[in-house]
Amino acid sequence: MLLFDNARSGGQPPRPWRAPRKSLWQTRVEGWVRSAPVLQAGLLYVASQGGHLTALDARTGKERWRFKSAAPIHSTPSLSAGHVLVTSDDGTLYAIDSTSGAKRWQLTTGAEIWASPIVSNGTVFVGDADGRMHAVNFASGAERWKRELGGKVCSTACVAGQRLFVGTGDANVFCMDVTAGEILWKTPTVKGIDSSPAVANGTLFLGSLDFFLYAMDTASGAVRWKYEAELGISSSPAVSGDLVVFGCKAGMLRALNAQTGKLVWAQPLGQAITAPPVISGSTVWMQSGIVHALNLADGKVLWWARLGYSLQSAPAITDSAVYLTSMEGDVYALA
Amino acid sequence: MIDRRQFVQRTCLGGLALYLDHWATSPAYGQDLIPPAPPIHVNEPAGSERSPLGMPGLFPGRVVEIQNSQAILNNRVSEPVIRQMLERALRELTATEDAREAWSKFVEPKDVVGIKINPSGAPACCSSPEIVREIVAGVHSVGVPLQNIRVYDRYAYEIDIGSYQTLVPVGVRVVGVEDRRLGVSGYDPDIYCEANFFGEWETRSYMASIVSSGLTKIINVPTMKDHSAAGVTGCLKNLGYGTFNNVDRSHRRPFSFTDPLIGVMCSVEPLRSKAVLHVMDGMRMLWHGGPLSQNAKFIFPAGILMVGTDPVAMDTIELEKIEAKRLAERAPSVWSRDPKSLTENGGEFYEDASKNLYYRQPHHIAAAGARGLGVSDVKRIDHRVLGAG
Repeated sequence: MLLFDNARSGGQPPRPWRAPRKSLWQTRVEGWVRSAPVLQAGLLYVASQGGHLTALDARTGKERWRFKSAAPIHSTPSLSAGHVLVTSDDGTLYAIDSTSGAKRWQLTTGAEIWASPIVSNGTVFVGDADGRMHAVNFASGAERWKRELGGKVCSTACVAGQRLFVGTGDANVFCMDVTAGEILWKTPTVKGIDSSPAVANGTLFLGSLDFFLYAMDTASGAVRWKYEAELGISSSPAVSGDLVVFGCKAGMLRALNAQTGKLVWAQPLGQAITAPPVISGSTVWMQSGIVHALNLADGKVLWWARLGYSLQSAPAITDSAVYLTSMEGDVYALA
Repeated sequence: MIDRRQFVQRTCLGGLALYLDHWATSPAYGQDLIPPAPPIHVNEPAGSERSPLGMPGLFPGRVVEIQNSQAILNNRVSEPVIRQMLERALRELTATEDAREAWSKFVEPKDVVGIKINPSGAPACCSSPEIVREIVAGVHSVGVPLQNIRVYDRYAYEIDIGSYQTLVPVGVRVVGVEDRRLGVSGYDPDIYCEANFFGEWETRSYMASIVSSGLTKIINVPTMKDHSAAGVTGCLKNLGYGTFNNVDRSHRRPFSFTDPLIGVMCSVEPLRSKAVLHVMDGMRMLWHGGPLSQNAKFIFPAGILMVGTDPVAMDTIELEKIEAKRLAERAPSVWSRDPKSLTENGGEFYEDASKNLYYRQPHHIAAAGARGLGVSDVKRIDHRVLGAG
């Protein structure tokens, strides 16, 4: 699951706040990076515009293997059952063995893919720039179904139970049945959507380029509340407990009460925010040009560094290290 | 048919030598400190016949301006209002009754059309996706398949911040020529401008391959912005500096050679012939801090759209508007040459409208006019202003 769970909580172990004090290692992958690194079983996976998926030893930064796709990679890789799933600009979905880097299968969709694939109950779901959502057999790579949605799909989908949720470039939020792709409901916003949904406690949270963060009933699509920001919202929200955290392009990071939509705190970070916040225990991590760590409860900035300059990446965090990528392809491990 | 292996060199003299009259008549030029520009060598395709649609295009000297206060409300651009504004302005420009007929003056079904956006001020002030979408609809109405329409700029990461890839219709491709200073892979090695401005190690600027060989027509969508070096950034700068790489080298504080480089670049084929229409986005006018400022106090929701085929005439009108707004805000003229206004502190520049990083070069517009790219004499510009009705 991308960023661990449907709440997009980052999947990081809750750990007491401790500011990074030193660099464990630093390296550079080939090509620019416009996605987030992902970490599993001691390997850090980084996808790049050079078309490379690189597996780095999380302890040393040494390259373990590298897979070359035929086109640049915009999307953040996903991890599932010993595989890394990654998509490329030529519309190919790849399943790569996570330990060896060997390709297991690939599927060509025919359109650019900027969204990340997700896996649920043996099916991979991913949308493409021709406005189609694809469901693919995780074991074989065979397509199970595809559904025309109308607008470009740059939003990464989210599955909760038997329902699949995604936003589209023509401003709609879709709920589909996972087994056949039947559209169960569709709720319009006013502008396109490239934020990815988070789902928690029967509520879907999603930003729109119409400047609003929406909370929708997952059963019906009814809007429970919406909150207006200063500019469009590309940043995907993260949910932790009673808080939903998101950024907007005006550079403001906010936490709202997930039930009511009331503002809990707001913190200006100085640069446009387009990446998702990552929550680890009592800390929110946010890359928006530079990297910030904030106290989840009140938004107070705990730590920041001019490292990992990127507007599209998000850190990967363990109980002993923080991993960052920069737009230029630098990868940092901090402890 | 152009033989792609044959190229020709020409040399362009610097702005000082060619435009001494303009310098002499500008009131703020008494103590000009700017050194003369070096000659610029241009390598371009040999034997290319200039298209009659190319700059200054079908309507030299004509600028149609339309303003509607409903076009931008609460910092949101209204696409339905844009649709009406754009159609009306294009009908006025082309003296046609029908929007489709107006579009057909510039593009035909067999074209591969590039829409050159300006995302450099994203997210606060960049080419509005709503305008881009309406241009796509207009081009498509003539019969150009959506798959043959590209929205492009040099910097992919700036395009990403503007979310263009999400907001354009299915079928339309969004192309970033390079990531941030990534190199020359997206550029044509045979078409370039060469000059040594400040002793830089790389003295060439190459034309983007998408312009030299990937498109047949270009529709230019600049924004209406102050520019710390060029004076303003409009049609000419968006095309010239948005097509060639390695252009930052033409600035070294406090000097800039945007004049003559912008005009020279716009005159290079096939860019000159392919740029057939300019749609200036004045929804948000950035009157100080350009081109990158995100400071809301310098962004005015002007709600203006201008269309034309003559980039020089359009930029001349834009310059007047930026200048008028700066004067109304008691900011120094873009023509000012007061050394006391210069600062090395970028933070100060982005907060204080009386400060600047360079001696601005607004006369790059007249210089481009002298190269035949259009009309810069305000008295000769057919400036038609349409109301919201």
